[in-house]
This record gives sequence, structure tokens and C-alpha cells, in this order.
Amino acid sequence: MPLLLIFWQSVYPNGQWDWMAPIRTITGHHLSGVLLNSVWLGICVVALTTLLALPLAWMMAKTGMGEHRWVDVILMIPFMTPPYIGSMGWILFMQKGGYLQQWAPSSANWSELFFSFWGMVMIMSLHLFPFLYLLLRDALIRIGGNLEEAGAVHGARAGYRFRRIILPLLLSSYGMGIMLVFVKTIAEFGTPATFGRKIGYYVMTSEIHKYISSWPIDFGKATSLASVLLSVCLVMWYMQSAISRKFTYRLVGGRGQRSKRYSLRGWAGWLCGTYLAILLILSIGIPYFSIIAASTMKLRGTGLALDNLTLEHYRELLSWGSVSMKAIGNSLGLSLAASTVAVIIGTGFALAIGKSSSFMQRVIDLFSLLPNTVPGIVMVVGLILFWNSPWMPMTLYNTYGMVVLTYVVLFLPYTVQYVKSSFTQIDGTLFQAGQVFGGRPLYILRRILVPLILPGMLAGWMMTFTIATRELVGSLLILPPSMQTSATYIFAQFEQGQVSLGMAMAVVTVGMTVLMLLGIEMLNSKRKWNAS
Amino acid sequence: MFGMKTRKKSAALLLTAVMSLSLFGCSTGNTTTGNAAKPAGEGNAAAAADTASKAAGGKLVLYSAGPQKLADNIVNGFTAKTGIEVEMFQGTTGKILARMEAEKANPVADVVILASLPSAQALKADGLTLPYPEAAHADKLNKDWSDAEGNYFSSSASALGIVYNSKLVTAPPKSWADLAAPAWKDAVNIPDPTLSGSALDFITGYLSANGEKGWDLLNAYKANGVAMAGANQEALDPVITGAKSIVAAGVDYMAYSAKAKGEPLDIVYPEEGTVISPRPAAILKSSPNVENAKAFIDYLLSDEAQKLVADAYLIPGREDIEAANRANVKDIPQLKVDWTWMSEHGDETAARFSETFK
Repeated sequence: MPLLLIFWQSVYPNGQWDWMAPIRTITGHHLSGVLLNSVWLGICVVALTTLLALPLAWMMAKTGMGEHRWVDVILMIPFMTPPYIGSMGWILFMQKGGYLQQWAPSSANWSELFFSFWGMVMIMSLHLFPFLYLLLRDALIRIGGNLEEAGAVHGARAGYRFRRIILPLLLSSYGMGIMLVFVKTIAEFGTPATFGRKIGYYVMTSEIHKYISSWPIDFGKATSLASVLLSVCLVMWYMQSAISRKFTYRLVGGRGQRSKRYSLRGWAGWLCGTYLAILLILSIGIPYFSIIAASTMKLRGTGLALDNLTLEHYRELLSWGSVSMKAIGNSLGLSLAASTVAVIIGTGFALAIGKSSSFMQRVIDLFSLLPNTVPGIVMVVGLILFWNSPWMPMTLYNTYGMVVLTYVVLFLPYTVQYVKSSFTQIDGTLFQAGQVFGGRPLYILRRILVPLILPGMLAGWMMTFTIATRELVGSLLILPPSMQTSATYIFAQFEQGQVSLGMAMAVVTVGMTVLMLLGIEMLNSKRKWNAS
Repeated sequence: MFGMKTRKKSAALLLTAVMSLSLFGCSTGNTTTGNAAKPAGEGNAAAAADTASKAAGGKLVLYSAGPQKLADNIVNGFTAKTGIEVEMFQGTTGKILARMEAEKANPVADVVILASLPSAQALKADGLTLPYPEAAHADKLNKDWSDAEGNYFSSSASALGIVYNSKLVTAPPKSWADLAAPAWKDAVNIPDPTLSGSALDFITGYLSANGEKGWDLLNAYKANGVAMAGANQEALDPVITGAKSIVAAGVDYMAYSAKAKGEPLDIVYPEEGTVISPRPAAILKSSPNVENAKAFIDYLLSDEAQKLVADAYLIPGREDIEAANRANVKDIPQLKVDWTWMSEHGDETAARFSETFK
């Protein structure tokens, strides 16, 4: 299991001496404040993502709105947007002399209040909520209508039914979701680097990045900070697995299910519609307004004006054979390869983990999560140290395979979690039934297991693909020289002062990914086993 | 019970299938670079094999900080002249150093171009550089910026100034002290010296010229709401869009090139003097292609490449070549800086600065 070795490498980079000493020295310093900042940010983001995702998940699972499958894909947009681009969009919109003030000068009185801790929580929650939403919605759909109907038959009111039936059944998925949201928040680098630095809110990742990217480089300090971060994540993982073991139920059984859908009429429909609209405006409308505006500007100093519009940047970007087109090609190729490999390996892991009953399984579970808890940059340094070390029989470093490997390692947790989430709720009787009727293991695998976990695999694949297309931190360090992906291209343009070109690239890549996902979604809706 | 067992069995089956598959992927991927067994990447894998076969003959791996267009032009010019293929990694000084650190066990780069003289001095002190004193035109370089023993050559430089938004600022400040005046409260950005080598050069340079008194100015900046804002471009961007008015210690070539595009920007060099930040290039001792690396340094100091440097609004490293589109060394008032002091005190100054401005 290379993961384990890599992890060792990343935490104890030089292999010898002082891997306890830095931890001690750092905990003595200002670190406790930064750590608290990280944790507090994580808690607030978890709270806000829950507020945003739960009502939406309910609407999409239990009401007529669920038929609008396109909403799912549209809602992936915030998640596909590189976090630093999203924060940039918000900054450009809200800052002094920003788009909002150019548009409505009177907003100058309050718009800069946005530059606070709560603004940061909002940006990060709007970025992460789709993730929680998808998990919750799938769980709600799996719960189906029968259990609730049974409750209703026995005379339970709606509130009671929610509290005693839906909530406990939801808890396992929710726990998994918020753990990932929490971990993603405290391991996130883009938003703290762009927005956090502006408001003077420093978190663990910005400290780690400081040690790793500015002279003098100190991997030792960075990795010991990372291990502190890691311990926090481990505590979270422990809590989550305790919850999930207590509240896992077998929901997908042999009997057919139909889910109850409330029809939306009158004010309820309006309410749900408005909620969705506001959410879409906040999570996509505002940042993308800024991003698109910035990408079509001749002169950034002139601001919003009709004669300042140009499509020149897109022309430059999309001219055949250009650096940018190669970057797009590289991104797509890498993401496809990485997500496919990740799904195959991830499914294997998820099945091996099963319901986390034995100790060994829980250890595997933990290790499959680790890449997500270690900040990307530390993980990547670990990978480089590992694959580039002289004692390796072959060096993968500086090749295409290395990039794919890095992506797979970084994004494996998503597939594992998605597949696990659908696998743990399959009732074992289905497999027994298969056995009774003389099915051989392979046959059972093919006809029972795979079809039932396929939605989870697909979701994991899509998730990996979308994140991989925008992966930045790893690509920055690991790409062979002379090779760019769309994310490093965007980053390089920002570094070079070509903000418009960078923003145009962001629009193009996100747009392409959306089209692709819409295509998959359309194919997908023809599936027969959609209901489970 | 029975069901549980079969499920485990099938899971194990799938897992072994997956494992052997990935193992297979690894081994083929590594015996020959050409057959990296990832289906989606065939085109690129083939390209990788292509460059690998050339490696024996003429290849150079360059890590370069600074303006990408310039680096591209130099690389193209070099390849056209020598036929040597260049693989370039483009990043900030910090990223390049991080990458070198990560590759320590198995170095890849031949030549690095950094944006900070003290970093190059540190590379030399650590014994990582390969001296090349016989480089062509090395004698014409500015002596203060390059190593006498030929460990690094500053082929270009940039001066730090007060960069301002000309729509918002009508009477630009004339001295560093002006920025501490109430007129500029909360309107000034300064690049983060832990991310921007040039900003660090300015701060240490100012301190080396003014001693401990120099901190008075920086403390006054802090009191006046000067914000520490990322690397150079990040600090400049809000000034272009008008969210801030001024960058203190802004890199001048960025300002010149944005101004040439038509952005409302301009720059002044304060009368009490500023710091010029050289951009050193060095051959690494670990270089696998030493001859190509030497050829590259020769090209970097040639008339042709120095002209490219000047076109990119940078100050040419050779004293006998001038840039027509910008202020040259003789036009810029300079502080009396002590580079040795600066490179010795860089770390603690950066740490103290970021602690103050946090």
C-alpha cells in the first residue's frame, strides 16, 4: 500500500532525527491561535453548508423539483470552480471600486463589511455545499417512501416522522458529509490565500504554505504543522465513524421501493423556487458575473463599460495549437485517466472496508481518507520525495504517470466515500438471495453488487473528474517542466498580470466540464436502476 | 453469516483484480516511458518518449522565475541558435526553491533563474552552484550584482518604486516617508517579502542603508494602514482596478508593461533612493547537461538576449546595453545598500516584517 509509505514520507521527510522536536517547538508558539482559527472556520463552514444543503436536498429528493436533473449539474459549478477563482470573483465584486459599487454607488456604505470572517465562511460554504447536498440527496432518495408511510400509518405527524425516521437514517451520510466538508475547509488553501490574507485571517494551511514556498524552505516545520492538522482530522474521523457505526441501517433490500414525492403548489412551490434561485445567484451568479466581466475587459483599470468589452482574450485562448489549448488538452486527459483509475481502486477499497466492522477494515478506511486530510501541498511534497528518491528502482517523477498517480492519491477519498456510502446501505440478504439461486461470486458481483453501487461509483467518478480538472497545488509542483494544465495556466496568467486571460481560461474549463457532465447526466437518466 | 462471507469474498476478488491491474499499470509505465499504460494519455506519453530519446543529445532543464513572455522568447532564441531543446518550469522564486528542495535526492534542473540575489548567494554558500567564470561577456556585467567567481550572473534587474493608479492619484508621493502621511491612509499595498524576493530586497536594502532607524518608517506604514498583499502581481492588481491607490516597493517592469497596455498606472522612484533588485542565473553543480548549461549562460549574456531583456521592460544585466523604454540604472536614485548584510539578515527581517504587518 503505497499510501502508507507516502504518508510516512510526508510526515517525516528526512527520515531521521527530530520529528518530535518541531512539534514541541511549534505548539509553544503562536500556533495555537492559528489552529483555533482553522477549527473555528471549519465549524462555521460546516454549520452554514448544512443550512444551505439540507433544505435543498430535501426539495430535490422529496418534491416535484427532483425532476429537474439539470439542477444537479448546475450546482456542481461552484464546486468545479477553483476556490481561489471563486474568492477572486467575490473580491472583485465587493471591493472598493468593485463591480457592485460601479453599478450601485450607494452600496459603498456597506459592501466592504463583506471583508470579514463571515464573508470568508460564506465564500467557502457556497463553494462546498454542493458536495454535502449530493450526499444528503442520495441518502434521502435511498430512504424511500415506505418507511415514512409506515410512520404515517401509525399516526406520526410530519415533525415526528422527520425526527424519528428520516434524521437517524440520514445521520450516517450526514456525518460522512460534514466530516469531508470540515476536513476540506481546514485543508483548503485557495480561499485563505486570496481572501483570508486580505482580512488578516491566518489558518494552518497558509502557515504551511509559508514554510514550503518561501526561502528558507523548511519541510520539517511544514510537515509537523501538517501532522497537527492531521490529528484534528483524525479526531473528526473517529467521531464520524462512531456515529456512522451506530446509525447505519440496511435500506436497499430486495423489495421494490417507490419514493413519495410531495407535489409543490402555491406558496410552497414559490418558496422552494425562490430558495433555489437565491442559492444559485449567491453561489454562481455573483462570482461568475465577476469572472466573466473580468475575462472580457480590455483594460482592467477602466471597469464596467460597454466600450471596454472584448472577446480578444477568448480568441487568444482558443487559437489552435496555442499553449492554452495544450493546457486544456492536458487537463482533460489527466483528469480522465486519474478519475478512471481512482474509481477502480476506490471501489476496491470501499468494498474491502465494507461496514468497518473489523479493525483492519477501519485502518484501511482511515488510510483511504488520509490524502484528504493532509493539505495537498504536503502530500505532493511527500510524493515527490518518495518517487524521486534514489533507492526507487524506477523514477516515476517528471513523467505523465506521476501526475496521474498524484491525482489518484489526492482524490481517492471521494470515490471511496461515495461508494462506501451506497455499499453500506445494501442489505446482505440480496447477496444471500443470489447465492440461494446458485449465483457464483462473479455473477453476483456483476448482476447484484455492481448495479447497486454504480450510482456511487459514477458520482465518485464525476467528483474526481471535476476536481482533477481544476487541481492546482499538486500540478504546480509535480508537472514535468514544459507541461501545463488549465489550472497552472490560470495561475501563471495571474502571476504574470494577465488576469483577463486567466479568467477566460476559468470560464472555458468550467464551461467544458459542465457540458460534459450534462451529457453524462442525460445518458444517465436512461438508466433502469435509477431509483435505488 | 453466509451472506457476509460471500460479500467479503467478492470484495476481495474485486480488490485483487484492481491491485493486479494497477500493478500492471505501474510496471509498464516505468520500464519504458513511452508505454505509460494510461489509455487517455497516449498522445502525451508518446510525446514524453520523444523528448526522452533526444535527452542524450541536446536537452536543458531550466527553472525560471519572472516574466513568462521573456523566458519564452529567450528559450526560443536559444533553441533556434543552438538546436538544444529546453524544458522549462516557470514559477516564482519560492516555488523554484521548493521544487529544488523536493528534488534534492535526484536533481533535474541544469540552470535556474531567480528573482532574488540573496537566494543565489545562499545557493552558492550551500555549494550548489557550478562556477563558470569564463562565460562570454561576463566582464561587462554589473559587478555588484554578479559573483566574481562566476557562480551566478545577473542577466537582468528591476528597480523598486512607488507604483500608483494615475486615475486616483494626481499628486504622486515623492519619498518613501510620504506614504506614511494621512492622505494615503488605507490606500497602500506592499508585497509580502516572504513571497516576493524583490520586496525583501527593498526592505533589507532600506534597513541596511538606514540601520535600526529604518524600522521607524515601516512601523509608520503599519500605523497608516499599509497592507501586506501577496506577491508582486497580487499587490499590484487592486491598484489597477482601483481598490487601492499605491503599491510601495512595486516592481517597475510590471508597472511599465501594464502602462504600455493602457492601464492607468505610473511609477516614481523616490528621491532618497531605492533598491535595484538583480535577477541572477546560475548553473547547478548537479546539472546533467553542463555543456548545454554553459551555452545557455553564454546566450543569456549575448547582445541578442540582452535586447530581449530590455524589450521586457527590465534593466539589462550588462552595463553596456541600455533599455530605451524605461528608466535605466543611471536615472534611478539608489540607496547605499550592503548586499552581504542583506543576505545575512534576510530571514529575520522577513519574519519580523510579516509579524509586524500580520
